[in-house]
Amino acid sequence: MAGVIEDYVAALRRQLDFDPTLAQRLTSEVEDHLRDAAESDPAWPSSEAERRAVQRFGLSRQIAAQFAADAIDRQVRRTWLTLLATVIVTFIAMRLRVIWLDDGAVSALAPLIDRCAFIVVIAVGVIGWFSFRRSFLALALCLAGLAASIGAGFVRADLFAQGAPLPVLLTAAGEMVLIGLLSFRIVGLGRRLKRTAVLRGVAR
Amino acid sequence: MLKGHLDAIVLAALEAGPAHGYAIIETIKSRSGNTFDLPEGTVYPALHRLEHAGFLSSTWTTPANGRRRRVYSLTKTGSAALAARRKAWSRFSQAVDSFLGGGRTWPA
Repeated sequence: MAGVIEDYVAALRRQLDFDPTLAQRLTSEVEDHLRDAAESDPAWPSSEAERRAVQRFGLSRQIAAQFAADAIDRQVRRTWLTLLATVIVTFIAMRLRVIWLDDGAVSALAPLIDRCAFIVVIAVGVIGWFSFRRSFLALALCLAGLAASIGAGFVRADLFAQGAPLPVLLTAAGEMVLIGLLSFRIVGLGRRLKRTAVLRGVAR
Repeated sequence: MLKGHLDAIVLAALEAGPAHGYAIIETIKSRSGNTFDLPEGTVYPALHRLEHAGFLSSTWTTPANGRRRRVYSLTKTGSAALAARRKAWSRFSQAVDSFLGGGRTWPA
């Protein structure tokens, strides 16, 4: 049968499941801490000494919620930086396509979608950065806009049919890699925001 | 109120030398005369936050006859941050003191 400390550490590990590396590192540290605390208790060795050590340590959900909240700030910053990089590369790629490739005759809508979606991304991005930095919706809108703009740009320039020069192909590849990375970051941030809200709600 | 100053308190607790989490909590309790009796677990988010900020560094150590521990040390940036926070706190506490009956005017 597991002891009081083992149960507490297992619960903390479960609550830190949003970051397995942190969970691994922290649970080792916390277990050491609780063993030191229990061993310094006059009632040691006993489950009562372990129970008191755990009680003094605080609720595992509150600790996990604090870690989740701290990590969100870093994750938000990384996501917005990825968005900025994607916007810059998309802009360069758009310019290169205009310089080197002719507008394809595939769709009359493509140039309109390409421009409008990009402008929407810039507008939502600027407003989001200054007013709704933690907004999943603002970031998701930017992602959708960029995906639409990039897709329309490819169609517009008939990119793969024209035998595009290397700089155009490289920037197009860069756009695709960055949009993939941005999607990954936004999905991760969404999960983290949801998890933090749950932890905070229960810990209150 | 203590929560807002926890990072500075942890930095100050490490000023004397490297220590692990449990020792840091014990230092905080003893140096505050048990006034800062916060849940012990709250020190770990602060330690990790300060490490991410570059104010602390940490390594695993294993004493000859003891269990493996993560030991935290103040970095140069951390020492500078502590000095800055001390200065800010000193000004702030003087100002509050002058309002709440310290009898001194501020700034002196």
